[in-house]
Amino acid sequence: MKKLVLVVASLLLVFSACAVVLAQGYETMPEDALIIPLGVEGTPYDFLEPGVRGGTMYISDFTDPKKWNHTTSKETSTSLYTSQMMAGLTNQNPVNGAIEPELAKSWDVSDDGLVITFHLRKVNWSDGTPFTADDVLFTFNDLIYNEDVDTSSRDNIQLPDDTFPVVEKVDDHTVKVTLSMTFRPILTQIGVAIMPKHKLAQYVHKLNPDVPAGTFNETWGLDTDPAELCGLGPFIVESYEPDQQVVMRRNPYYYRYDANGTQLPYVDKYVVLIVASQDVSLLKFRNGELDVFGCRPSDVPILKAEELAKDFTVMVAKDKPVLGTTWISVNQDVGLADGTRENLRNLFRNRKFRVALSHAMDKQTMINNLVNGLAVPQWSPVSLMSPFYAGRDYYGGPITEANAVIFEYDLDKAASLLDEIGIIDRNGDGWRDFEDGTTVEMEFNTNVGNTVREGAILIIADDLQKIGIKAVANPIDFNTLVTKLLSADYDFVYLGLTGGTEPNSGGNVYRPCGTLHAWHYSACEEPYEVEKRIDELLDAGAATLDNDKAFEAYKEYQITLAREDLGLLYTFNNAYTYVYYNHVGNAQVASPLGSPSSYYGLTWDLVFKKG
Amino acid sequence: MKFTGLRALVVVACVVALFSMVVVANLETIVSDELIPEISAAAGIALAGSYADTMTEAGLVVLAANGRTIGLRTAASGALAIQYRAKTEEEIMAILKGTADPMIRAAAIEPALIYLISVTSEAEDFSLTDYLKDIAINGETHEMKLAAAKAYYFMMRGSLKVEDLEVQAVTNDSDELAYAAGEVLAGFYLSFNPKTQAELEELVINGESAGMRVAGSIALAALLINSDLTVLDFETTLLSIAGTKTAEYRAAYKVALAVRYGS
Repeated sequence: MKKLVLVVASLLLVFSACAVVLAQGYETMPEDALIIPLGVEGTPYDFLEPGVRGGTMYISDFTDPKKWNHTTSKETSTSLYTSQMMAGLTNQNPVNGAIEPELAKSWDVSDDGLVITFHLRKVNWSDGTPFTADDVLFTFNDLIYNEDVDTSSRDNIQLPDDTFPVVEKVDDHTVKVTLSMTFRPILTQIGVAIMPKHKLAQYVHKLNPDVPAGTFNETWGLDTDPAELCGLGPFIVESYEPDQQVVMRRNPYYYRYDANGTQLPYVDKYVVLIVASQDVSLLKFRNGELDVFGCRPSDVPILKAEELAKDFTVMVAKDKPVLGTTWISVNQDVGLADGTRENLRNLFRNRKFRVALSHAMDKQTMINNLVNGLAVPQWSPVSLMSPFYAGRDYYGGPITEANAVIFEYDLDKAASLLDEIGIIDRNGDGWRDFEDGTTVEMEFNTNVGNTVREGAILIIADDLQKIGIKAVANPIDFNTLVTKLLSADYDFVYLGLTGGTEPNSGGNVYRPCGTLHAWHYSACEEPYEVEKRIDELLDAGAATLDNDKAFEAYKEYQITLAREDLGLLYTFNNAYTYVYYNHVGNAQVASPLGSPSSYYGLTWDLVFKKG
Repeated sequence: MKFTGLRALVVVACVVALFSMVVVANLETIVSDELIPEISAAAGIALAGSYADTMTEAGLVVLAANGRTIGLRTAASGALAIQYRAKTEEEIMAILKGTADPMIRAAAIEPALIYLISVTSEAEDFSLTDYLKDIAINGETHEMKLAAAKAYYFMMRGSLKVEDLEVQAVTNDSDELAYAAGEVLAGFYLSFNPKTQAELEELVINGESAGMRVAGSIALAALLINSDLTVLDFETTLLSIAGTKTAEYRAAYKVALAVRYGS
């Protein structure tokens, strides 16, 4: 009897083992697997390590998702999940921001740069169905270009001449994309999530007239059985409890592997707790209920007090500042509209004045006093995390700052430059005057209530006063400030802009006719030579599909802006802050480049739970 | 081959489990001895997670109030703090304001913070920080006041500088507020305004208020954890300073020892 029980038990074990094998996905690593070289020297991932599989990661968000359909999603509370379920032809490297092959294992570009041929990986969807060129065509031709589908992806992929790339099938694993004009940022924009034709074509009116128009927009709503969902990304939604949590499970057919041949993702599941606020998330992290948390600079002191006792790491990454810029705009059109303030306008248009102003900006004191040192000085309009940042020596290379344009804080030098251009104290009252004897004075605005910005303009105004420039700090209401900025009705404004990694996206700011060229709107009619050159360089960077050539154009663009144009004078960028328990391996991969859809910058498939 | 792999896995799992049992067994011995209260309490801190996993709430309540040693009471209180995370706002507030043993009320402090920082009101002039400060001054029990004080400084953390906190850790509207200010201040001493170990030791021994000594104690504990000192070093020190210096100084070594014990 005992033997019989043992035999039955053994058979059950064998059966369940087989079942597990069937659910494991690929029997062996697919030929087209994407290898992530974790810990391999000379690669962007050399600071990480190969991990072990297993375990559950706990993170949080403070908004419920709205659907599971990535194509029609418009909010990060949804894309937090759908971006883990899906993948695109190209992807941004989370370490250096470079655009790299993802579902496309490679691509060829025609000599004229107008035809890009993508070679697709032979991999499977999470339900085991092969991924093919038909899925790519379905995504572009039947979803993104389909006016019946409510998607913001359509705007993102539109070319500057208002046309769309033409996507055609060459064979099951080759897709040809034809452009009406050469436009390098297309490689970023073509990385939209590829959707499964075999699951979703039936809901697209264009392909299935039996369903009403707009049906796709309601497809994969929150009421969808999770078993129906499938994707190519590392995780698939397993369950959802409103106001409580979302559980995501590993995609057994995920195509990324580490250098040891271990299939990613490492962890079995992610549990996303839905909480009331970021403050609640912080408390839950401190309690050990979350594994990682995208903390804010203001959270750092209370986290540092517990860091060692609770065995977590507070990452204050000055080498990973958040994307965007913070700057002073000097209005070179001041008084132009009504023909007044000619003295001040001519002064602001004098490059040497703006250089003097740059030497009077004590960025380090601002950083120390205003943000507790959690920031880095900024000199370029391109974010430091961009592979095109001119502080790198080559596209995606390490940051050496060999090309940096730095005007060191030096009030004596600033004063000498003012003397040189004839802005001197003519009546002995301590304030510098124009040639006609009137005092040089100006108002310095920022938005009231932003204590960091208010502090910054006080520091700068104080330094300017030390060298005889009568600058008066005056914080004002944000909307009033923006109105003044956009109508060129100001002297100095201190503000910031969000940003990405693609320099071309700054065209609306830095091109002479840009809608945010707020320091010199008249440049649209009468651009300076340097502004014409900036326009040319932006064109040159976008008009090549060769990243190295684009880098050279964008490097000159950044250096020209910083050294010659000085339209905006940059101050500092906040450091990226993140906190994780030390039992989470590779959590240090977290970076602003992953934000926001990857949970404040965490690359989900690379982290693992340590024993 | 597969069977060999499975057998190896089982062996490894058994070794890990055995090691955990040995560690816990050692801590159980230490926690049961109250010769040096801080050593006993350090073991208690390290055991809290294990107690939370293995004991019932009822058992922990009894142990937290009546445990034979400070270590056992600390372990039970820490375990209750973990289990109390599942309690409702009403339940947590009832414990904080109630007449249970202080070790039980203390267990409700950290779980209460999530509720306290989420308080809302329809009153137009409602200010959460004013509300929290009022409880930190007039709350029913020390633990209620301390929870509110911690929540108050949690909410205020972005607008305070080290200079503000150094004043508020000395002079404040309640002892609990001064204590909570000291806790946040410790974070500044460990980040933006670092102090040397000698400065922290001076502060934790001769600080002019409990708030300042707490700031020094938390920061000193971090430096000790980060040092090369061993369990034996910490135990020896605690033995040599038993009943001397200040409670906050001994607490720094207690916390560091708890980490070495594996809290």
